[in-house]
Amino acid sequence: MRKIWNTNNSKVANKGNPFHLKLNLREKIIVALLFSAASVAIIVSAAIIYTLAEGSFSFFTAPEVNILEFFTGSRWVPSGSEPSFGILPLLAGTTLIAGGALLIGAPVGIASALFLSEFAGKRLRSILKPIIEVLAGIPSIVYGFFALLFISPILRECFGASYFNASSAIIVIAIMVLPIIVSISDDAMKAVPNHLRESSRALGATKWETSTKVVIPAASSGITASILLGLARALGETMVVTLAAGSVARLTLNPLEEVQTMTAYIAQVATGDIPPGVAVSAAFAVGLVLFMITYTVNTIAGRIVVRIKTGTTAKGKKLRHNENKLIVTISRFIGYISGSIVKITYNVKIKLKFIKNKIIKTKTLTLGRRYRKERIGVTAIGMCLVIVSIFLVLLLSNIITEGIGGINGNFLTSFPSYRPSKAGIFPVIMGSVYLMLLTMLFAAPLGVGAAVYLNEFAKDTRYTRFLRRIIQNLAGVPSIVFGLMGLAIFVRLFDFGPSLLSGSLTLTIMVLPIIVVTTEEALKSVPHGFREAARGVGSTKWQTVRHHVLPNATPGILTGIILSLSRAIGETAPILFIGAVFAKTAPSGVFDGFLALPLTIFFWTRHPKAEFHTLAASTILVLLVILLSMNIVAIIIRQRAQARREW
Amino acid sequence: MVSKKGKSNQNIERIQVKNVNVYYGSNHAIKNVSMDIKEKRVTALIGPSGCGKSTLLRSFNRMNDEIVGCRTEGSIIWGGIDILDDKVDPVPLRRKVGMVFQKPNPFPKSIYDNITYGPKIHGIREKEMLDKIIEKSLKDAAIWDEVRDRLGDSAMSLSGGQQQRLCIARTLAIEPEIILMDEPCSALDPIATAKIEDLINQLKKNYTVVIVTHNMQQAARVSDYTGFFYLGELIEYGKTKQIFENPKMELTENYMTGRFG
Repeated sequence: MRKIWNTNNSKVANKGNPFHLKLNLREKIIVALLFSAASVAIIVSAAIIYTLAEGSFSFFTAPEVNILEFFTGSRWVPSGSEPSFGILPLLAGTTLIAGGALLIGAPVGIASALFLSEFAGKRLRSILKPIIEVLAGIPSIVYGFFALLFISPILRECFGASYFNASSAIIVIAIMVLPIIVSISDDAMKAVPNHLRESSRALGATKWETSTKVVIPAASSGITASILLGLARALGETMVVTLAAGSVARLTLNPLEEVQTMTAYIAQVATGDIPPGVAVSAAFAVGLVLFMITYTVNTIAGRIVVRIKTGTTAKGKKLRHNENKLIVTISRFIGYISGSIVKITYNVKIKLKFIKNKIIKTKTLTLGRRYRKERIGVTAIGMCLVIVSIFLVLLLSNIITEGIGGINGNFLTSFPSYRPSKAGIFPVIMGSVYLMLLTMLFAAPLGVGAAVYLNEFAKDTRYTRFLRRIIQNLAGVPSIVFGLMGLAIFVRLFDFGPSLLSGSLTLTIMVLPIIVVTTEEALKSVPHGFREAARGVGSTKWQTVRHHVLPNATPGILTGIILSLSRAIGETAPILFIGAVFAKTAPSGVFDGFLALPLTIFFWTRHPKAEFHTLAASTILVLLVILLSMNIVAIIIRQRAQARREW
Repeated sequence: MVSKKGKSNQNIERIQVKNVNVYYGSNHAIKNVSMDIKEKRVTALIGPSGCGKSTLLRSFNRMNDEIVGCRTEGSIIWGGIDILDDKVDPVPLRRKVGMVFQKPNPFPKSIYDNITYGPKIHGIREKEMLDKIIEKSLKDAAIWDEVRDRLGDSAMSLSGGQQQRLCIARTLAIEPEIILMDEPCSALDPIATAKIEDLINQLKKNYTVVIVTHNMQQAARVSDYTGFFYLGELIEYGKTKQIFENPKMELTENYMTGRFG
């Protein structure tokens, strides 16, 4: 066993002290680069706060504006001879829509999650789960189209709602928040240890009783978090409310009337319907308020999620009791009220009887009644998923029947026009494709770099934790706020103008947190043993990452990038400020203006002429086909990697 | 390094562990351990689960550095250098101190790429040399005959015992001076275990081997020296024969006779 290369005089051995720390410049540069990629998140957050603060400052210092009036005034009339900036109507509109959406979405979502987690078999689950995922993948502009042109007419017919009305937005946003609520609640319910279910069943509880009395209470913090995250999503939703709820700020809680939300006002400014001046800087002040509200909601939800994750340790048990207090109190309260209603309506007679006889009998439920309860319960929560599926079918069939006729060679190859019969979307498709490619160019290296730094190099320092929190918060920022930031920083400060470059940079910032999270997941899935083995034979950290971790994580990383890009290509709100209303040609350079599919859908959906609605539907179909093919590619990559994976 | 001097004296104290303490956060995993590891001998570290033997083993190639919140104090002097010193770069250190892990952990690559990975990152590029290294290390690890015709196959297609011998070959390929083995047979069947044990007996001709094992028969079979650990402390250390046949400490005797453990 004589040595053949690693001897002291071989050329690869170090001279002198063999183990002295060598200044490995390459490694240091790489780590520095990865560190800066991760730190971009901080710069971005600072830019967002700066943008909002600066805009708000110039708003509040304007002569027409009074801070007190802003927070307490009940008139929001940004333009006209007598402008007035009282945010209450916008707050009321936002509350009405987000609250209403949650009022429908939360129970339906929790019920669906319960059905998926506890009652659906493996096969049913594999059918139902994708339905929820499809709902999450549909861009909000499509929901907006559906709300304005399908739901709203029905409401007008049946309930006498106005043309723009809050209720159509409420219904559609309730469906939009479902995927968040379902997936997080489902995770929380699945995380409930099986021995709890088993001990409940062993005591003779039915499946339904176990679900409602053991699983839901045990998962209550996760369910709370899911509702809060859904709320943040509903608060930040822009396109649906802009299209369907209207643009008149009114202090009303009547869902059949037209209302304006905070996001809708910012969008109104973005589309140029507001004369420049104070009314425009008001958008920044509104953006700041919106940002702070969603930040608070997201932070609370994030804390709960973190506690659930750490709750499995012995330490976490204490925490669990504390933080459950709120939900326990709420559920007790709800239980008390519903219980008393039941008592009053049904049990008064029985109670009177007991008192008469002066004997308190123990009343046991018959087995038949308990099983009936289970059947009714399971049917009810199963119906929720049926209704959701029907909604999805309606949405897709509506768009397909509306739009399929308009798709032909001419539509795909010609240019937008005022004459609907001649209009096409060629430059629009090209604009979206360029936008996506450019976004990928910026976002992929930054996001992957940040994730590699955080997962492989970062020590658990205060700075790392801060960075993680920043990235998490960035993921919760409403997309219209990214639009404000893109306008202030890229369009104005960097003077890139309303160009492809500004648009893709804005989208980059929006998808960055998604890429970081999915890449980190992919990196985490690479077994620790590979890293140990590589380190054990003397690889440096970066060599370990480059030779073993990254190659094995590539399919997961690619899937994440594709999915986040499909998110970017469907987004309207962030580029509302930047995208051109008119661009006759496809962009030929990064400083050219551009048109994108979701923007075009937005403008055509708003168009008063019905022919343009058909064009919007056709454009939606094109967008959905692009999204679908991107998702199929991602699925194929994932499945091929799984089939080939040896670990 | 000091090997020239070392050959003249059989029992030169090659690796001096001096007052080593290891902490995982607030958990004091290794308590003030001092011992001398002899060159070209097999030293077994035994003791009940959680006694810290693996933690000590991982100090020899600074693998504990990779664990967040792990802190090591004291010194391990080897060839006049304290390898626990912050100034010592663990990367070149690990070229001299190889490690075989508890679970076979081949890379999901070909057998060839698994073996050549170490030499390659240390700068060997010539194909001839790499081929030589492949053949030599696979032969030394007693797996050459089983894989010579399928070096291009994935390492994952090998059986567990073969994978572990491949991992040993991968360690031999970097031609270390010390080989650390962390319960290398715990995931293997008896036949594969016997092969690895034979291999360890061969290895001590050229390498200093430190092995952590749960299996006392194994320690008795393969090692020259044995250290018994209990709750992070080194209770007794000496020649294997003496430890097994005539332990000085009552605790060691109780463990050997299976009264706890």
